[in-house]
Amino acid sequence: MAVALGIDLGTTNSVAAIATPTGVEFILGPRGERVHPSTVAFPASGGVVVGADARRYRLTEPHHVIHSAKRFIGQNIRAPLVQLAMTGVRYKVVEGPNQQPIVVVRDRRMTMPEISSHVLLHLKRCAERQLGTQVKDAVITVPANFTDGQRQATKEAGRLAGLDVMRLINEPTAAALAYGFGQDHQKVIAVFDFGGGTFDVSILRLNGEIFEVLASDGDFFLGGDDLDRSLAEVLAAECNRVLGLDPRPHPALMMKLMMGAEAIKCHLSENDAAEGEIDGLDLPSGGTGKLPFEVTRRQFEDLIGGYVARTIDVTKQAIRAAGFDIRNVADVLCVGGSTRIPLVRTRLAELFGKEVNTKVNPDEVVAQGAAIQAGSLSGGLSSGTGMGARDAVATAGHSSLAHGNVQLPVGQVTRPVLLDVNPATLAIQTAGGFTERLLDKNAPIPIERTRVFTTARDNQTRVEIDCCRGENRRYTENEPLGTLQLENLPAKARGELKIEVSFRVDADGILHVKASDQVTGAAQEAHLQVLGAPSAEEP
Amino acid sequence: MSVRSDVLLWAQRIVAKKDAAPHVLLEIKADCGVDDAQAAFHKLARMAHPDLHRSSLEAAELELVTTAYSRITAAYQEFRSQRMQTMRMQPIHDTGRLPTINQEAGRAVPEAQPPTPSASGAAGAMNSKALIYYRKAELCLRRGDLRGAVLQLKMAIAGDPASTFLRTALTEVMAEVGKTP
Repeated sequence: MAVALGIDLGTTNSVAAIATPTGVEFILGPRGERVHPSTVAFPASGGVVVGADARRYRLTEPHHVIHSAKRFIGQNIRAPLVQLAMTGVRYKVVEGPNQQPIVVVRDRRMTMPEISSHVLLHLKRCAERQLGTQVKDAVITVPANFTDGQRQATKEAGRLAGLDVMRLINEPTAAALAYGFGQDHQKVIAVFDFGGGTFDVSILRLNGEIFEVLASDGDFFLGGDDLDRSLAEVLAAECNRVLGLDPRPHPALMMKLMMGAEAIKCHLSENDAAEGEIDGLDLPSGGTGKLPFEVTRRQFEDLIGGYVARTIDVTKQAIRAAGFDIRNVADVLCVGGSTRIPLVRTRLAELFGKEVNTKVNPDEVVAQGAAIQAGSLSGGLSSGTGMGARDAVATAGHSSLAHGNVQLPVGQVTRPVLLDVNPATLAIQTAGGFTERLLDKNAPIPIERTRVFTTARDNQTRVEIDCCRGENRRYTENEPLGTLQLENLPAKARGELKIEVSFRVDADGILHVKASDQVTGAAQEAHLQVLGAPSAEEP
Repeated sequence: MSVRSDVLLWAQRIVAKKDAAPHVLLEIKADCGVDDAQAAFHKLARMAHPDLHRSSLEAAELELVTTAYSRITAAYQEFRSQRMQTMRMQPIHDTGRLPTINQEAGRAVPEAQPPTPSASGAAGAMNSKALIYYRKAELCLRRGDLRGAVLQLKMAIAGDPASTFLRTALTEVMAEVGKTP
């Protein structure tokens, strides 16, 4: 029985773990760390450096350090959000085939899945070293609001890293699984996932081994990075006042301030004020400078209040979509580093009328859930499968199992059933520029729905089926996914030709569109290539 | 093993009944409530969710079970959304045990205005989704990044298309972009 890895592939950090019948064991990096930065560096000395070591190159070779690849992966480069993300990074991103973003570093062109595959490969190697066995199967988590293209690209990254991606699961669902596995809960919970780059909220009903997502919502471009940036702007103004130097045109200085802002943010989660100085600022005039700062928690909360209010609004939307009274939510799970901020917890407690659950580790719970699902899918968690993951670990003579790892309910063999949802309404364009919805947001997956359409003109021998994602009635107001074509149709009067369009979203949340003409029965089929997703062409 | 053949027989039955009404596929009565539908759906999920049969079925058999299960979820979704629509129109004095959509007048959901970061009239001129992008646009402007500001403002307008405040702001910034080479 192979070992199956659960991977939380984050915007800033990644965590991997495996589940065995005795517990969840985390995969450690070269220095024994559980959290692996999702950073890939291509230093001048050659080679590829991943993880904590890669972060060291951020100041010396910022153009060759790829971070936050998750903000680009599987996205259409022409989307405004991607254009925005490009203004926030120091490495070069250009348009590749199928409108996918391509990284150019040291004259090499690499797709985003290639970048992410380096992170996955690093985790795979750490796991193999730690467990003393080959690792092939994996479950990777993605934000609940990830699109089809982003999911396809994440799977592609896994494939490039030599992993068989058994399943992609949504991060909030993974957290709920880690929370409820083997507990036989009967209740409704909310999972509030506020990470480094994305924000998600899911409302779930736990019914024994069933984890049913009732509604999920989120904001793909809202995370701890935004909070750091708003604080860094204040530090920049302070720098201008104290040192008489505007750091904004100097990327290295701004990077230093961002790192300072991040540290101050973390300090303010525990303390009412942060006071100190950021030193080692390389001044353009030569020499180094120091920037003293004094920030109170109150000032920081004023800065980030708007962002936090947005997360609360999205949470309300999700509860409304779940069709639930907010008082029925029995527990509120906080996931992601940004939920350590006291203001976030206070606002959540106000909204739900109860204290949030602080028992879970916000950085590790998603990887734990992924590991449990990986174990369940590969059979490593159930009893009576013979050589289980535990044996593989035991053969390696590994003894760190007991230390700080999470205990699972022993003897638990019921496999969990995850009932996740479709993150966005999927529709096609009809005559007059309107849309016809095929699959609703928050519909359970895997799901398949077929609708029959007809032609709008006489003797129409060719149809184009434009697929989009979004709630708007007008096609142009939604995000285009791509176009399917059916050609050489029999010439008929309008309305006589019947075209069957089927939308299927699989358990990974990936869309498959199929169209066939029913009259000829020749079942001419076309499949959709989602814009921004990996394509067969070379970058 | 019988579990395996039970699932396959069920899947064949479901796939054969392609155009059947949702309650027929879920094997419940047409006038059931959402709770009953959910119970039926959970029961089917426990038996037929494709994840549970990954290792025990052949590829073609798994495909059949997946197709059948995917149609069950579609049926459940349709049944549920029909019921939800009915529920929205229920009179207020109906205090049935079903969860209803519009009970939010209760004390637990304070409909307070989102607190805004700084003193500015901008907050009232747009919704909270637009506001975060507007704030990001302000940050861009402060560091002289006009192009970034334009993108952020466009995102803000996508969040709140009705806001005239945002459209005016975008026009102003676009004019600035025109001036700089």
